[in-house]
Order: sequence, then structure tokens, then C-alpha cells
Amino acid sequence: MLATFLIATAAVAVAAPFLGQAMGRRAGWVLGPALFALGVALWVASSSNPAPESYTWIPSLGVAFSLRLDGLGLMFSLLVLLVGGAVLTYSARHLTVAPHGNFYGLMSLFAFAMLGLVLADDVVLLFLMWEITTFCSFFLIARSGPPAREPAIRTLLVTGAGGLALLAAAATMAVTVGSTQLTVILASDAWNDTAFAATVAVLLAFAAFAKSAQFPFQAWLPDAMAAATPVSAYLHAAAMVKAGIYLLMRFTSVLGELPLWNAMLISVGLLTAVMGAFAALRRYDLKSMLAYSTVSQLGFLVAAIGIGTPEALVAAAVHTVAHALFKSALFLLTGIIDHQTGTRDIRILGRLHTTMPATTVLFGLAALSMAGVPPLLGFMSKEGIFAAFLTAPGPAWVGFTVATLGVLAAVLTFGYASKMVLGIIGGPAMTKPVKEAAPIYLFPVALPALAGLLVGLWPAPVDRLVYDAGANASGTPVDGYLSLWHGVNTPLVMSLLVMAAGVGLALARTRVDRFVEPLASPISALRIVDKARVGIIRFGDRMGDITRTDSPNRHLAVPIVSLVIIAGVAVATLTDLPAIVGDPTRPFDWVLVGLLVIGVAGAIAARSRVAAIAIIGIVGFGVTLWFLTLGAADVALTQLLVEILTVVVMVLLLRRLPATFRKASKRRAVGAGMIAAVAGAATTLAVFAFTGRRELSPAGEYFLREVKTDTGGTNVVNTILVDFRALDTLGEITVLAMAGVAVLVLVQSRTLLSSKSARIFVSPDSPLRRERDNAVFLRTLSRLVGPLTVVLSLFFLLRGHNAPGGGFIAALIGGAGVALIYLAADSDESARSRLPALALIGSGVVLAVVTGLLGYVDQSFLRPLHFDLFTVHISTAVVFDVGVYLVVIGVVVASLNLLGTPTRRAMRDLDAPPDAEAPTRTASKEQVS
Amino acid sequence: MTLALSAGILVTGAVYLMLQRGMLRVVLGFILLSHAVNLIIMAAGGTSRRGEPLGADPDPAVTADALPQAFVLTAIVIAFAITIFMLALAVAGRGDDDTDDLIPVHSQPDMDVDADAAASEATPSDDNPAETLDEFASEREGGQS
Repeated sequence: MLATFLIATAAVAVAAPFLGQAMGRRAGWVLGPALFALGVALWVASSSNPAPESYTWIPSLGVAFSLRLDGLGLMFSLLVLLVGGAVLTYSARHLTVAPHGNFYGLMSLFAFAMLGLVLADDVVLLFLMWEITTFCSFFLIARSGPPAREPAIRTLLVTGAGGLALLAAAATMAVTVGSTQLTVILASDAWNDTAFAATVAVLLAFAAFAKSAQFPFQAWLPDAMAAATPVSAYLHAAAMVKAGIYLLMRFTSVLGELPLWNAMLISVGLLTAVMGAFAALRRYDLKSMLAYSTVSQLGFLVAAIGIGTPEALVAAAVHTVAHALFKSALFLLTGIIDHQTGTRDIRILGRLHTTMPATTVLFGLAALSMAGVPPLLGFMSKEGIFAAFLTAPGPAWVGFTVATLGVLAAVLTFGYASKMVLGIIGGPAMTKPVKEAAPIYLFPVALPALAGLLVGLWPAPVDRLVYDAGANASGTPVDGYLSLWHGVNTPLVMSLLVMAAGVGLALARTRVDRFVEPLASPISALRIVDKARVGIIRFGDRMGDITRTDSPNRHLAVPIVSLVIIAGVAVATLTDLPAIVGDPTRPFDWVLVGLLVIGVAGAIAARSRVAAIAIIGIVGFGVTLWFLTLGAADVALTQLLVEILTVVVMVLLLRRLPATFRKASKRRAVGAGMIAAVAGAATTLAVFAFTGRRELSPAGEYFLREVKTDTGGTNVVNTILVDFRALDTLGEITVLAMAGVAVLVLVQSRTLLSSKSARIFVSPDSPLRRERDNAVFLRTLSRLVGPLTVVLSLFFLLRGHNAPGGGFIAALIGGAGVALIYLAADSDESARSRLPALALIGSGVVLAVVTGLLGYVDQSFLRPLHFDLFTVHISTAVVFDVGVYLVVIGVVVASLNLLGTPTRRAMRDLDAPPDAEAPTRTASKEQVS
Repeated sequence: MTLALSAGILVTGAVYLMLQRGMLRVVLGFILLSHAVNLIIMAAGGTSRRGEPLGADPDPAVTADALPQAFVLTAIVIAFAITIFMLALAVAGRGDDDTDDLIPVHSQPDMDVDADAAASEATPSDDNPAETLDEFASEREGGQS
């Protein structure tokens, strides 16, 4: 049944934008009564004590869409729906600024979220609804035009921060209690753990203070006044800020006796109450006064909740109702006054009782309720709260202080309430003619205003409502009935005191105004929010600057420096390392170290690109030798071949680049040198500390032992590549294939740097110009070596399973052959390899995958099949290796073709003129021009 | 120890080159870095056993760990492909392979603030939060353009 109400409200929210679109502001005539009717229906239905409901939502996390209705939830639900109904009905007459669909949609969604919030029996659901109200209020404020933009953002930031605190509280509770269900959490005995209770108390108080505009978050609410009147009315009276009050009341049953909770709520609440009331007294704009009044009244409520006794919570419940009634009425009436007279300034407004009598009477009724004058509901609630203040926990002086501050806040409240009323009826009559509002406009406002009087005179209908709410909130049954007259007691004396002092303030209001006006707070909370916001964004901007660059150096420096820092931490913390196993060093190693030192120093010092590339080659050969001495023949072979091909490709690019490097600035050289030295030292230390301190790994031992039995091969490294860990290899050749395709795409989509002009002029008659003759030596050699490399390559491919070789090495040998033919060619065009590079790459990947699929014949993907063909042992792993071969040779051919010769597009352009010399033109052009 | 030294030397060269202008030097730095990483992976297998992992029944007491060797073998070929891709990047575009931004980034916002102030001839005021924000917003936009 509860879900039905929620769905019905959701249906209103869904229909609202369309109705608003179709009917304009008159949609309020439908939507307002609809919400109101839902509220009445819920009240009627609540008498049958609807059972809790739960629907599957996120079962994997134990989160359910659980709803329940108790007295506390009912009270807030009624406020949300009834006040919401009144506000929307009022909007039908009040709104001026389109689009109305947007307004009605957000307002009904707001009502839906608030209803969901107070009905939720799951903290995750509660949090979700809480956040929806945050966003609704943001959009509702923001839709009021450019001046509302900043207030909307500040509201979002402050209330959003509160939402995060609520999330933290929800997570803490869910983890500690082991359930997200609210009833289970509230019934848990985890609250006996003071640390847990205190943590949650602080988080919840943070969330509620931010939502309910309590110190130090009080600034957003008056700021949010920029919103349209109906929005403010709803925000201040029933929605948004009341969510914080609801949260505090909901958790009082478990936190009400926690001294920290009492202290936080009472002190913050009273401080806010006095500050807010004082601020309201300083204003002249009715709406602004009401906004500060809300801050103050909420502070009053928070302090009352902080007392924590059942009676205090009943009083808080009564005051919540009273405040909802008088505050919605006052806001809406202010909207009417503004609408009819064009101003909200009480210094301009005057003698409205003669021009707008009905409005003035209603305004007066609501204001008197706010001031706490009998027989209105506001008097009753204030009495109850005074009584509660007197019972404040702790030593006797606490109760006295709390009560005194409460009286002070109440006196100030009386002061600004009377200032508002006297402001609109006193003073000279307004210069422009003022007309009373139409009855249909006043009618929705009359409801809450008169309700405040009716309930004050005949409180019986709401007895159950507020006592149940108080009982549910405090977790202790409490019974009683509301009454204006409790006999002569301390609260009555306090009330009389308040009224007497208040009347004094009202009489002396000119002098009071003169006194309070200059007392502006030196600290603007809004400015603090803005400063913080600007500061954070600026900080983010500065942080972003670090990476906002196209230069790769900055990006590269970050991980390097981070790694060095990690290494530093490791050095500082590592103490106990296992002993080094065996003798890790051979005398010959030092030769290799020397070779690398020379190579690296040369690479750093090289000024010209040719030199740098040549020296890098030396380093590569040094590393190759390292692999060889470490017993890795396959690896050494691979490294050697890759080194050759890398140098060839780099040389091909040289003609497109300047001959020498730019000279590095001193700063860069020193900076880079320092980072480099530290990184190098860190590497050496890390390798020394972390390697060579254990026996052969179990995996390594397994491979050595089982190689023959498992694979039929004897080259362990190759069997790992194509058999044991073939999936790795499949992934790897896919990377290779992608790199080949990427180079192709890059070269075809971007223009390459143009070739640099030659520095030496070569006469056309010179023998140096005869490309064909000059290449004779290499061509002759390649004619001989070419077929040899093909044979050699196939030989290495086939024997790879048992001896050094395999697909990678074989393909690199083949690639070296292609490179040789390329270098021996006499022109760019004839150098281009005719091998279909992309087809080779593609067919290689396909072949490897198909071989892998064959493995399903025997259990699994990539499992090699073994069979004997004419007494020769054959394994499909070798076929897989052929796939590897094709991919690698394809990539080599592609890179030579793409980087070594002009792009096809360029070639086509060159071929275009019907000129016999065209094919050789590129070559000659580069040498001459 | 020697292998650790070798890796350290290679990393030193690699880092130095990677922090230089000129894409070719950056690529050379990457080549050195992949050498260093390959040696480190080899070191992970231990350097006291250096026998070739070949033959029907190698002796685990003296034979090198084959697994790091297999890793390194594939790593070399992948590094080769990546190197070629980076080399292609080095020669794509116009001018030369210089990688530096024309204007150092850190000086940009300051310059724009000056430009802003000169353009509007208004001194930024801290009194009005909105003004501060607007000023900041325009500064940001300027910074990005």
C-alpha cells in the first residue's frame, strides 16, 4: 500500500512536465489538489497501520526497496503532500516565468523524493532520495535565471557535502550492523559501542546541519532566496530543510542519550537560532527576513531534538508542524504582496490592511503563530520547547543557559515578526494603487494560515500525529494531549517574558533598527564558500597545468619520479633480505658493464642523430652479449636481429630529420641528469635487493623437467612460447599486428616530415649520381644472400622447437633479408617490397587462432596436437609458430615500406605526369634540390 | 651485481634521453629502457645458473630459468613494434621532431590575467564573490584557448 502512494506521487511527477507543457501554469489546478488528495488519503489509510513493505532491489548487496510508515514518517509525509499540494495550487495563479513544465516536474519530483525519504526503511534508499532532493533544489533555484546561478551552485556544494556525510554514515552503519535496513540498524546493539555511535553521530549531524542550514552551513538558505516564491515556500516549510530535521529525529532513538549528540545539537541549534533571528531583525525585505527566520526556527528545532527526551521530541514534532504551516503561509503571502504591490520592502509597503485586508489578516495570523502568541499553534509549540529546554541534560546551569538562550531567540523572533506585520500595516499608504488579491489566489494560502489558528484552538485532531511522531523519534512511548493551558508554570512565565520583551522591541523598533543595522558580521559565510570553491578549482587548474602539455617529457617524468620515490621508501623500510644464492657474477660480466657504460655515455653525449643511432646499436649488441652469457641463446638471437632492423628503420628516417639534436638547455640537462642518476641508482639497488636470492622457480623447474614429455620439443624457451604459454604469444602477435596497422594508418593519415635537402651539390654528370652502378656491390651480394636468408629463415623456423630458432627468430632473419634487398635497391620505388604486408599480418593472426581452435579436438584452446608423419614427430605448435612468423615478417615489411619510401599517395602523385623519368625522380630530387 | 649495475646504467641513459626534446631521443630512451627492463626480467630468473635450457633433460642445478627468457623474447619483439610506431610518430607532422610546447605551460595563466586586466581596465575586486568567480572563469577560458 505504501508503494502505491509512492508510485502515485511518482505518477504525478511524471505527468507534471507534460501537464505543465500543455496547460501552462494552470497545471497547478490539477497537480496541487492531486498531491493534497494523496496526503488526505494517506492520513486516512494510516489509521489501519499499514505493514512495512520490501521489494527486491540490489540483492547482491542486501539492499532492498523497503518502505514503512510510522508516526514520524506519517507526520513528515503529510507535511510534504499537504503543503506541497497547497504550494502547487497557489502556483497555478502565481507563476509568471515559463517554462512551467519544468517547474511542475521538478516540484512534484521533489515531493516524490521527500515522500520516499521519510518512508524509506533502507539507508541506501534514504540516501538516494536525499540526493534527489538536493538536485531538485539545485535545479529549482537555478531555473530562476542568471542571478540564481551562483546561489544554486553554492546550495548544491553545501548540501552535496552533507550528502556525502550521509553516505559515509550509511556505509558505516551498514558495515557495522551488517544490514542496510533502517529498522534493523535502529534496533541493533552496535550503538552501545561509543566509538561507532560517536562517528555516526558526527556524520549524521554534519549531513543534517548542511541540509537544514545550521551553523556553519546556514548561509545557503537565505542565499537560495533567489528562487521563485513557491519554491522557497516549499523548500523552507516542508521539503529540503525538513529532511535534515527528519534525519535527526529518526536517529534520536539511538543517539538521544549520547552526550556528544546532545552537545552538538543543542549548541549548534541555539547558536543558529539566535544568529538567524538577529539577522532577520536586521533585514527589510520580507522574503529575506523569512529566510533568516527559517534558519533561526530550524535552529530552535535542532536544539529541541538535541534534548532527546520524549517530551522534547513531541515538542519538536509540534513545532515542525507549526513551522510548516506559518512559514508556508508567510512565504506565499509575501509572494502575493510582491505580486500585487511590486515590492517586498517593508519600508515601502504600508497600510496594506486598508487595501489588502484579507491578505493582511492571514499574514498577521501566520506571523503571530511564528511569534508564539496564543491561541495559535506556534504558542503551543514554543511552550513545549521551553519546557524541554528546562530539562536539558547535564548540570543544572546547562538547563538554565539553554532556556535563557531559547528565550533570547524567541524574543528576537517576536521582534522580527512584529516588525514584519507593523511594516506592512504601518507607515504611510503606498503611492501606487494596490488591489486585494483574487480569492482564488488567496485560497491555497488561507489553508495553512487558518490551520495554525484552528489547531491552536482545537488541537485534538493532531494529538495522535505529534505524540506518535515523538514516540517513534525518541523510541519511548509517550502519551498526552496538546493544550494551550497547562496552568501557571515556568514555560508560561517564559512565554510571558518573551511577549513582554517582544512588545518592548516592537515599540522601540526605530531605535532597534538603528542599533542593529550597523552590526554586520565581519565574516561572510558565502564568501568563504566562494573562496573555497575558487581555490579548489584554481588548485585543480594548477594541478592540471602539470599535465596540460603536448611535450612527452612531463608525462614521462611523473611515473619515473614516482618510481624513484617508491624505491626510496623501499630502501628505508627493507631490512631483512634472504641471502644471495650461488655466485651471480662472472669475470666477463665486467666487460659487458664497461661496454654498456661506453655505449650509454655515447648515446647521451651524441650531438648528431647518425651518431646517436650508431651508438644505440652498440648498446644493443652489449645487451645481446649479456643474454648470451646468461644462457639465453634464443633471446640473444632475437635481440641481435631486432637491433639490426631497428637501426635500419631509424636510418631510413634520418633523411626526414635535422642532422643534429637541439642543444639542451642547462636547466634541462641538469634536471634530467639528476633524475636519471637517481633512477639508475634506484634500479641497481632494486635489482640487487630483489633478484638472485632464491633457487630456480618451481615453474622454471617444471618446464625444464617436463619439456620433452609434454611437448616433444627440447628448446624450452620455444616450447613455452608456442606450447605452454601459447595464449601469451597469441596476445603478443595481436599487439604486433595492431602496431603494424597503427603505423600504416598513421603514415597514411598524416603528412610525414619532408626530406631535408642535401648539403652537398652533386653534379648531374658525376658518377655519384648513377644510383644503379653505385649499388652494384650490395645488389650482387643480395642476389647471393637473399635466397640464403630465405633458406636460413625456414631452417630456423622448423628447428625452433628443438634448438635455438622459432617463428620470431626466423621471421626476423627473413626481415633482415628484406632489409638487405631494400638497401641494395637503386631507387625508392624498386626498394619497395612487393610482399603484401597487411595480408601477411592478417593471415598470421588467423593461422594462429585456427591452430588454437584445433586444440579443442584435444580438450582446450591452443592445446597442440601431436602426431607422427612418416616417423617424423609433428606438433601443431609448429604451425602456430608459422603464424607468429607471418605476423612478424609482415610487420617488418610494412615498416620498411611505409617509413622507408614515400607514401603510396605521394608515389601516385609522382606517377601522375606521363614522364619517363618519374619513378626515379624522388631519389634524384632528394639529392639535388 | 653486474647485471644490477648494467640495468642501472641503462636506466640512467634511458631516463636522461626520455627527458630531452626531440622525439628521436625520446625513442632512443625507450629503446634503452626496454633493454634495462629485459635485463631486470632476466635477473629475476637468477644469474648464478647460466646453462642453456636446451636438450631432453636439462639439469635444473645449472640451467637458467627458461620462463624469464621466454618473457624477454616476446618483450623484445613487442618493443620493436612499439619503437617503429614511435618512430613513425617522430616523423609525422611538420617542422622537425621537437616535442616541446611553444609556450611553457606554467607561464600561461599569468599572462592571461595580465591580458584580461589590460582588456577590461578593471582591477579585480575581492569584495564581490561573483566577480571573483567571473574573473576566474575568464582566466580559465583564456588559459585554455
